Order: sequence, then C-alpha cells, then structure tokens
Amino acid sequence: MGVITSRQLIKSYRSSIAVNQLTVQFNEGVITGLIGRNGAGKTTLLKMIAGLVKKSGGELSVFGDDPFNSLKVSANSIFVNDQMPFPVEYRVRDVLKEFERFYPNWENDLAERLTRHFSIDFDAQPINFSKGKRSTFNAIVGLAAHAPLTIFDEPTTGMDYSARQDFYRALLKDYMDYPRTIIVSSHLLNELENVLEDIVLIHDGQLYFHETVTSLKEFAVGLTGDSSELSSVTSKYEVLHKKDVGLNQQYVVIENQLDEKVEEYLKKMGVQITPVSPADVCVYVTNRENGGIDDVFNRSKHV
Amino acid sequence: MILNHESMKPIYIQIAEWLETEIIKGNLDVDDKIYSQYQLADLLNINPATAGKGLTKLLDDGIVYKKRGLGMFVTENAREHILLRRKNETLKVMIEDLVKEANYLQVSNEELLRMIEATRNKRGSD
Repeated sequence: MGVITSRQLIKSYRSSIAVNQLTVQFNEGVITGLIGRNGAGKTTLLKMIAGLVKKSGGELSVFGDDPFNSLKVSANSIFVNDQMPFPVEYRVRDVLKEFERFYPNWENDLAERLTRHFSIDFDAQPINFSKGKRSTFNAIVGLAAHAPLTIFDEPTTGMDYSARQDFYRALLKDYMDYPRTIIVSSHLLNELENVLEDIVLIHDGQLYFHETVTSLKEFAVGLTGDSSELSSVTSKYEVLHKKDVGLNQQYVVIENQLDEKVEEYLKKMGVQITPVSPADVCVYVTNRENGGIDDVFNRSKHV
Repeated sequence: MILNHESMKPIYIQIAEWLETEIIKGNLDVDDKIYSQYQLADLLNINPATAGKGLTKLLDDGIVYKKRGLGMFVTENAREHILLRRKNETLKVMIEDLVKEANYLQVSNEELLRMIEATRNKRGSD
C-alpha cells in the first residue's frame, strides 16, 4: 500500500530540473532507503513529500492530501535534516518541550534517555553543537516524535562510526516498538542496508528502481577470473561493471541470471563468484552512461 | 548467531539454516517455541521483514507450525526432515567439491577415505 504516491512529479528551479517526471510510491509501515548520487533529487523529493517545497507539476499525494500547506501532513510527519531550524536561544530541554507540544505521539522519556546516552547536555544550545552532535540531536528528535511519516534526510552527516551504529540500532528498535512509515536518505547504504526493507534509487530526478533489499542483494554477481574465459560467458549477460584486476584477470559484474550449469562451468574454470552489495549495484547502474572514475584517467581513450 | 554479510547466501536463508542447526543439535525440541520475527530482528539487528522471510521458509518447509497468536513451534518430524535434506543436498554438494579437489590433487579413494577417517577420529564425538 502506498502512503505516498507521486505521478509525473516535477520540481524545477530557474535553471535546472531537480525532480523530473518522477513516478514512485513509498509503502506504508516500511523503512525505505532513498538512494542516489549527489544532485539526484533526493532532498527536493523529500521536502516536497514533507510539504516544505511546492511542486512545479505532476501529482503528489501523502496520506491522501497534496502535502504542500496541508495541516494533516505537517501534523503527521517529521522531516529531519541538518538544517532543522531551532531558535537561537533555545537549550536542548526547550527544544524537547516544544516538540512535545506539537507531536501528539512524542515520547519524552525516549528523547531524554537518548539525549543522555549520547552525552548531550540538556542546558546546551543546539546552535553551538558540532556537526556530528547536531545530527545526533536532530535524529533523537526525529525518533522520539513517533510521527506516522518519519523522514530522515542524510541523518548521519558528521556522526562518527559509533554514533552511526547506535543510530541505526535505535532506528530499528524504535521502528519495532512503533511501526510506521520511515524514509531515510543516505550515502552509506552499506551500513544501513540491513535495517531497510525497501530501496528506492533515483537518478537525474527520475526513478531508477524500487526494490526490496533482499532482492537487490541477489540482483548481481561478481565474477573474477581469466579475461578471455570470462568474456565467453559474460557476453550473454548484461554487464554492469568491468575492471582489470591483474594480468589477464578481470572482475566482471553481471545480472544474477546464472543457471547451475553455467555456474558449474565457471567454477571449473577457476572463476570466483562473489556477491555484489546493494550499494555497489546502485553505483554500477547509475555509472553506466559516464563510465567509472578510471575512464577519466584513461587518457589514451580521448586521443 | 553471527550473520555473514559477505556470503552469497541470503540472510533469510542463513537464519533458517541456523534455526535448523539448533533443532538438529537438540537445542530446540518438538513443540518448542522458536524465536519470533521481532526477537530475531532485534537479536540480529536486521529489518523484521528479513527475519520474517527466514521464518516463512521454515514454515513452508514444514519445519515449524503456526499457532495463531502464540507463535511458531517445531514440528514433530522437523529433525528427520532437516537431516534427510541436508544429507541429500548440503552434504552431497560438499562431497562433490571434495571429490573434485581430490581428483585435481590425484588423491586415491583409499587415501581420501583414510583422511576422512583420521579427521573423524581426531574430532572425536562432534
């Protein structure tokens, strides 16, 4: 079931199009990861969903409403990013009090316990926090609000590894206590993937795919072996990525449609078969037009 | 239970196999309640949908049965079921690999059997 659906959604700024006829839906009660390169349109899409930015065209429905200027959407959603505006003079305890006033499902006990866990001083002013600490505090607020639609836009910016692990764990546990629709945009898919159920990949303002994490993990396989032997097999499949890894040795990523016979043959040829992480799949499929970074340095190609 | 995130084996399969191993070892007996979807998700730090998929596999394979509102429990012939399947599938594949490697290395049948025996004796009762 789609709690959020868009059809041919467009957002254009004066000289550029951030979201380009995007048709997508986010499922109710599911944690979805929104993935895409810098400039793919993730933040713009999330801001439109939260009702913070007005669409330029197409359709967008959140809880059955057009989110822009919708009270229903703003009362039932929270949008967390590193620009959450808190009044300058507010201390941590003041911010928590304000959120409690606005969000009916706010769990103050959780907010306070998390604040203590992350060693945040209740009398400090968030405006003075370091980047990582600010992100941590924003994330705490985002979790404790228990909003039916919870949106985290790059929530872990600046957080150290340990804080990020704690956040993913808190996200999972809180989601299990209060199942709700959660969208997380992130560049750290490797760290986040096990907490997610779905992944939406957008590229150039358009939907690339919407998959479950489970199926994305089985989407591609990596083959490492002798170049000529590999090419005889891989020519029959869609190649997503190719890299030289030694003398006459190649690493080739193809769509995972090997049957047992071919797999047997490859193993006999000494070809190593390895899984390809969802994060790598996302990179390979969105890199295809421009090639990889190695192509930039491959000067012979341009002569 | 530690999940291997680098394995070709999907996580829900790893979960199903782990619970099967617990049944073979006797840590889970007939009619014992197994972990719920949410307990597994919490234990393994994974999305509950993934954990649920592992349980569904056990259900489909007849290893567990469902009691509405109470959870999932080990079926009467779960153990036999698993042993038979593992012998026919898992062990068979391992033996194929073993024989293949032995052929590469030109190890004779007698020598291979001796090696297997020696390993069994060394590991004792496990």
